[in-house]
This record gives sequence, C-alpha cells and structure tokens, in this order.
Amino acid sequence: MIFRKDDIIVNTISRILIPFIQLYALYVIMHGHYSPGGGFQGGVILGASMVLLLLTRGYDEARYKFPEQIATLLSSVGVLIYAGIGLLCLFVLGNFLDYGKLAALLHVAPAHARSLGILGVEIGVGFAVMSVMYSIFLDISTGGILPEDEEE
Amino acid sequence: MNGFLLTVGLILCFLVFLVLYRVVFGPGVFNRIAAISAVGTKTLIILLIMGYLYNRVEMFVDISMVYALLNFIGCIAAAKYLEMGKE
Repeated sequence: MIFRKDDIIVNTISRILIPFIQLYALYVIMHGHYSPGGGFQGGVILGASMVLLLLTRGYDEARYKFPEQIATLLSSVGVLIYAGIGLLCLFVLGNFLDYGKLAALLHVAPAHARSLGILGVEIGVGFAVMSVMYSIFLDISTGGILPEDEEE
Repeated sequence: MNGFLLTVGLILCFLVFLVLYRVVFGPGVFNRIAAISAVGTKTLIILLIMGYLYNRVEMFVDISMVYALLNFIGCIAAAKYLEMGKE
C-alpha cells in the first residue's frame, strides 16, 4: 500500500508535471492521425499521469480524486464509444467502423466524416486504456485488498 | 552535418553498452537505477538524432518526450518501491 510522504521535491515536481502530462496526452490523442500516437498511446500517457499521482500523493488522495468505481465505469464507457461508433456505421448501411457512411448523419463531406469518426474512436480507446491502466496499477499495488474490504 | 550526427549516434550506441554493464553487474540497486536512467537519456538523444537523419524531427520529438516521461515515472516508481521495502 502506498502512502503519502512529505517529500517536498517529489511533491512539488509531481504537482507541476501532472497537468502538463495530461495536456500532452490529450495532444497525442487528438493529433494521432498526423503524428505517431493515437488512442492507445495517449491513453497510456494519461494512465501514467494517474499512476504518478498515486505514487506521489498516496493511495487515499488518489482514490479521492479518481475512485476506482469511476475507473471501472470509464473503461466500459470507452469501449461503448468505440463499439457504438462502429455499430452506428452499421445502421447507416455501411460496414463495421466504416466512417465514410457517417457523412449522411453529420452533414459533412465523407473525408471529413472519416476524420471525425477516427477521432471519436480514438477518444473511446483513450478512455478505456487510461482507466484500465489505473485499475491494474491500483490492484497490483494494493494486492487486490482495499481498506473497505478489510473493515467488513 | 549528417555524418557528424551519425558519428555521435554511433558513439552513443557504444556508450549504452558500457552503461549496460553497470546495469547487469553493478553493485547495489542504486547503481542499477541510475544506470537505467542514463540508458533512457541516451536513447532519447539517439531518437532525436535519428529524427534529424530521417528529416522527420517533429515526429521523433513526440516519441522522445514520451520516452523521457516514462523514464522519469519509472525512476520514481523504483525509488518508491525501495522506500517501502524498508518498512
């Protein structure tokens, strides 16, 4: 179990660095079709920022800021966004994840619809990867035993 | 300019192996952590040099920033693990 230590260097560095890491992760997700990166890599960087928060701030504060119930919910919502966009393409008579057919729904050119569809899929993948990374790290670092479980 | 960068990159590749000796045989954990951190820094510079050689610097800057970030977080995680091991 990880607890907070009053180490001024680590605390200050993490407080300054975590917002920039998350901003960079959002850049990697949104800019994924021009530069290396995309949903998975951006999600991993977002998850790394959460892991840094948990490492430096301790278990209690990290769980207060990002509870594991929300992590579980977000992982499902990410998969739902991904599969939902794929199924939406099926409903407008295209193939699975055939974004070009979404142009009829979005009232834009097919190329633009393709770009928007890729972006939506990447956002879903990013959410799922971030919360699954955080859940895995939380489970491993606590040995799967949360404090509420011990009290019961 | 390209020949100079290629030479620097090859020298750095050679230095990575020297540091790798410290990772494998180094006495104590702290030597190993510092050596792994040094390997990560050298890899970052090698990535940037590769970016210059391929004329795609803007791509490789992204990759090297992620590399530096994960190197830093890994270093913090290893230090935290050692700190908790004493308890």
